[in-house]
Amino acid sequence: MKRKYLVGAAGVLAAVITGAIVAPQAVLAAKGASMVEEGKKIAFDRKKGNCLACHMMGDGASPGNIAPPLLAMKSRYPDKAKLRAQIWDATTANPDSTMPPFGKHNILSASELDKIVEYVWTL
Amino acid sequence: MKKLLAMSMTLMMAVGISSNVVASPEADKAAWDNHYKQRFPGVPADDYINGVYAIDKVGRENWEAIEEFPPYEPFIDAGEEMWNTPFANGKGYKDCFPKGPAIAQNYPHWDKEKGMVMTLALALNNCREANGEKPLKYKKGSINNILSYVAYQSRGNKINVVIPKDDPRAMEAYEDGKKFYYTRRGQLNFSCASCHIQNAGNVLRTEVLGPAKGQISHFPVYRSKWGTVGTLHRRFTGCNKQVRAAPFKAQGKEYRNLEYFLSYQSNGLELNGPGARK
Amino acid sequence: MRKNRFISILALVAGLAVGIVGCATASEKGMTAKQSPKAAEVAQMISDADAARKKAASVKGEWRDTGKFIKNAQKALEASELERAMKLAKKAKAEGELGYAQAVAQKDLKMPAYLKY
Ligand code: HEC
Ligand code: HEC
Repeated sequence: MKRKYLVGAAGVLAAVITGAIVAPQAVLAAKGASMVEEGKKIAFDRKKGNCLACHMMGDGASPGNIAPPLLAMKSRYPDKAKLRAQIWDATTANPDSTMPPFGKHNILSASELDKIVEYVWTL
Repeated sequence: MKKLLAMSMTLMMAVGISSNVVASPEADKAAWDNHYKQRFPGVPADDYINGVYAIDKVGRENWEAIEEFPPYEPFIDAGEEMWNTPFANGKGYKDCFPKGPAIAQNYPHWDKEKGMVMTLALALNNCREANGEKPLKYKKGSINNILSYVAYQSRGNKINVVIPKDDPRAMEAYEDGKKFYYTRRGQLNFSCASCHIQNAGNVLRTEVLGPAKGQISHFPVYRSKWGTVGTLHRRFTGCNKQVRAAPFKAQGKEYRNLEYFLSYQSNGLELNGPGARK
Repeated sequence: MRKNRFISILALVAGLAVGIVGCATASEKGMTAKQSPKAAEVAQMISDADAARKKAASVKGEWRDTGKFIKNAQKALEASELERAMKLAKKAKAEGELGYAQAVAQKDLKMPAYLKY
């Protein structure tokens, strides 16, 4: 699982490096798209983000109803850093939050978190 | 009930709304009762002994079908045989518990002499050891037979956990259990209350979270997931592990005090063990 | 369980010590990565991680998988997979520290606001 993802990341990196020489813009867009896709995978993975346990989000199947559906994120969180902070440790904003502190407790790595933020921002 | 409410109100006024209150057990129970009454206005008080099925209609139908051929029945029978079979020294459970086997309502209780919370499982093993028998394991195995038998015989008796005033250590044990209940644990950072109070009735992925009140009335429980009957402390273990916290020892001090606190909140409800769950 | 872990760590450290002495007495077989200075460093990291785990446990804050990571780190060390052992030891140590901090931050019972008294 993890290895696959590493290979994937390496692939992205390689693509970026080679691409940077050829067509920077197109590659950047492609990189963004694959970040979003990977973010979605991590968000839906029960052993990783498992966001669906609590949130309705995107086309994820059988979501829980503990938390508000994740919608219109870009307009609700114009500042991406705020969104990241919520996912990093939700108890900062709400001490009684049930949402696990994904960043603070190393549930997700920094790069996994970044990808999830990219994905959630598209919702 | 009204009296409890009034008491908790006075208490609240006395200390302000600060949340770091040392509340009395009565006030703790009143807070739970109110919380659940507001969350589940349609659920009659005595239905809480059915656990999550008090609030999950779909789950309840399946459960009622299962209860027609109770999967825990063979365990009750095996337990009855244990109860009636003498130990190697000729004595038996009957000699340790002359009022048995309908004794579940007497546990957990504060054992002043030993200075600890005494649970039924522990008392049964103490009886065995006093008679030269090996103690049974506390999560899986035949302890569940004898517990099933005692639970079945105790059906209908009322839960009545007492925190005696004449020994401050009893209150300490209760407070310790309470602290445990509200402490967030594990990598996922949940307390017991996060799921069973704050989110009772909500759905976590596909699982409806049951109210904590009434949870202890029907143990031991046959779980389809386990394929057998398991103890309350086995369940505690599972609920700790699912939030990625290291579990504690079954029948160790932490879980016994937790059981003391948790059982107190079900005072007045009827025992209806053993139970059957998913 | 816990004792076992402790004993196996002791055994490991003892084993390493013997190994190092063994090398010094110039036996050429068994001169694996296990006896390298790097391996000693990793062994130290593992024992630091176990100390962090124990410290968390002392305040009832141990996490579920920390012990498993430490065990796997030891196995990796024994198999001379030093990078893997190091990664696991680091992860375990961080968990020990986080679990400890989590428990200590809640030293005094603070009732959640959703429960009304
Ligand atoms: C155990 C339940 C739970 C899980 C799992 C969970 N959340 Fe949450 N989340 C909540 C709750 C409850 C809230 C409501 C605000 C609060 O209490 O923090 C929330 C709020 C949020 C918000 C703010 C929503 C808004 O409308 O402002 C975002 C964004 C969010 N979660 C993202 C995520 C992502 C991404 C994941 C997966 C990596 C995730 N959550 C996993 C429970 C959860
Ligand atoms: C992440 C959510 C979660 C947390 C945290 C949690 N539980 Fe549970 N628990 C469940 C679920 C889901 C069930 C099964 C459905 C039900 O009965 O509520 C359950 C069931 C139980 C049961 C069995 C109920 C029955 O009727 O058979 C007991 C007892 C219990 N939990 C106690 C605890 C205790 C004590 C804690 C704290 C150590 C705790 N739980 C923490 C989710 C949780």
